Amino acid sequence: MLEQISALTSGTDSLLKSVSETRFVSAGPETSAVGQAGETASFSETLAHVSQDAIQRLKDGEAASLAGVDGQASVQHVVEAVMAAEQSLQTAIAIRDKVVSAYQEISRMTI
Amino acid sequence: MSDPLSAALHISSSGLRAQSERLRVVSENLANARSTGKTAGSDPYSRKTITFESEFDRARQAELVKIKNIGKDKSPFTVEYEPGHPAADETGYVKMPNVNVLLELADMRETNRSYEANLKVMTQAREMVMRDIALLRD
Repeated sequence: MLEQISALTSGTDSLLKSVSETRFVSAGPETSAVGQAGETASFSETLAHVSQDAIQRLKDGEAASLAGVDGQASVQHVVEAVMAAEQSLQTAIAIRDKVVSAYQEISRMTI
Repeated sequence: MSDPLSAALHISSSGLRAQSERLRVVSENLANARSTGKTAGSDPYSRKTITFESEFDRARQAELVKIKNIGKDKSPFTVEYEPGHPAADETGYVKMPNVNVLLELADMRETNRSYEANLKVMTQAREMVMRDIALLRD
């Protein structure tokens, strides 16, 4: 499951790069230089950071549930970890949907 | 900066942990309500008490609850006349634990209420987070 999610997030990241590249092309040379140094690069970086965080939480959740099945972790610990994992997964899915719909919006744009 | 909702989840989780530890102590007291000493005239099981304290979590900027101490109740033991008992002293009296079953049951109820309250906080915080995510979704 985790591999699929990480593949998905890296896919999202590359998609995002292509989206921002499209923006550079349409925006022209002088604004694209500013964008590359400033906000766009940091946005995809932030997204990558957030998805890494989400993957880490999912891993923690899985480890906690395995420890819970073994009887090594308390029920409260398992519930807390799994709930954190669920929240990050839902957030990741919501952000992915947003990014995909933004990409589709751009690709549907008439030139 | 930490997320208040996830801090709330973490705090109530520490509350759940504290209350389950309290239930463990109550169950020990109840199970050992008639546990006497092994040798003649020796002390029986003495009731355990649990106390809590707050602990500041710097990462989340929140006060968690943690177990301060699991101590022993110093109140006197009751004695019962039972000359045939292995723990009876020379006058035939056996020291019985200072566990009051009614008190333990009342404590258990309070533990249950507190656990439920913490669970409610958890449910509420989770619901709020999920609503936020749903806002992002559509």
